[in-house]
Amino acid sequence: MAFVPSKIKKHKSELEVGLNLTSMMDMFTIILVFLIKNYSTEGQLITPSDFLHLPYSNIQKAPEKGLDVIVSKQLIMVNNEPVVPMTDVVKNDPTVMDRGVIKPLREKLLYFSNQSKKMEVDYGIKFSGKVTIQGDKELPYSELVKVIRTCGLADYPNLRLVVYRQTD
Amino acid sequence: MAFKPSLRRHLKMESTDLNLTPIMNLMVVLIPMLLTNSQFIKLAIIDLNLPPAAGASATANPAAELPKEVQRSLDLTISITDRGFYISSALAVLHGIDGKGPTIPKKDDGTYDFKQLSQKLLEVKQKAQGVFPDADAVVLQAEKDIQYQTLVDTMDAARVVDVGGEVRELFPRVALSAGVM
Repeated sequence: MAFVPSKIKKHKSELEVGLNLTSMMDMFTIILVFLIKNYSTEGQLITPSDFLHLPYSNIQKAPEKGLDVIVSKQLIMVNNEPVVPMTDVVKNDPTVMDRGVIKPLREKLLYFSNQSKKMEVDYGIKFSGKVTIQGDKELPYSELVKVIRTCGLADYPNLRLVVYRQTD
Repeated sequence: MAFKPSLRRHLKMESTDLNLTPIMNLMVVLIPMLLTNSQFIKLAIIDLNLPPAAGASATANPAAELPKEVQRSLDLTISITDRGFYISSALAVLHGIDGKGPTIPKKDDGTYDFKQLSQKLLEVKQKAQGVFPDADAVVLQAEKDIQYQTLVDTMDAARVVDVGGEVRELFPRVALSAGVM
């Protein structure tokens, strides 16, 4: 005998099952409020580098835009371009160091400052001489001073040290 | 003709669901946008004034405009060593309790005593306020192996102090000394 479809099921009314979205809406609303509260209109002016751990500070000053100098344990970078390995700087290698000044870093900074000055002449964008230094928290003072000294001598006297803001 | 009640009474009262689809669409767009834009790690910056010798166009020192004879500056310096902090000025070095050694020695567990440093600096600040033109500036110097985190902590301790819930400003104008001890 061939298959006979159920006669009861055939007459079952097709119940429309609506998805209950209320709890999902609640969740979304909470997430949305939380995100809007955290939202800063300035956006991210400084992206923390992946190669280092910044030190913590209780200062509340908001970040500003400037030329990025990253001093990690391995190398020094300007605008995310590697400039000089840290080992040469630590060893005071004469091909790299010149009386406490890191030569490749100075050249790179002078290149950027010259470009910025050209922009100032051509387009009227003021050259601020601001540089943001992202240093690893275990960086010894002697190496930090070399970087700062180089920045000072390469037309970037306005230093900004980037730190994590402590929340307590 | 007698009053006849409205026939609308018999209209079926249908319960209608709110149409949540547009709100859902909004959420689906807004949440990823805010998620990608939000910063979960708060960054901050510390202004650093280079000593005038190192940076030609560093911030102007108001005391420098006075005639040389009238210039009386505090020149407060904090030196970070592996034994503790030394606080000194143009006039004298502050000594520790026993008359020698660092002004604020390390704690017994080998960590720096930042609280004590803030207290000492508050004393200095109260005496120097109004007497010296540079009573908001401090120069930091450190031994060459001092870690960056220690330096930043020292800057924090020298910037503000919490006196019984009241935040007092100490020496917010920080400069680093280029000379490594």
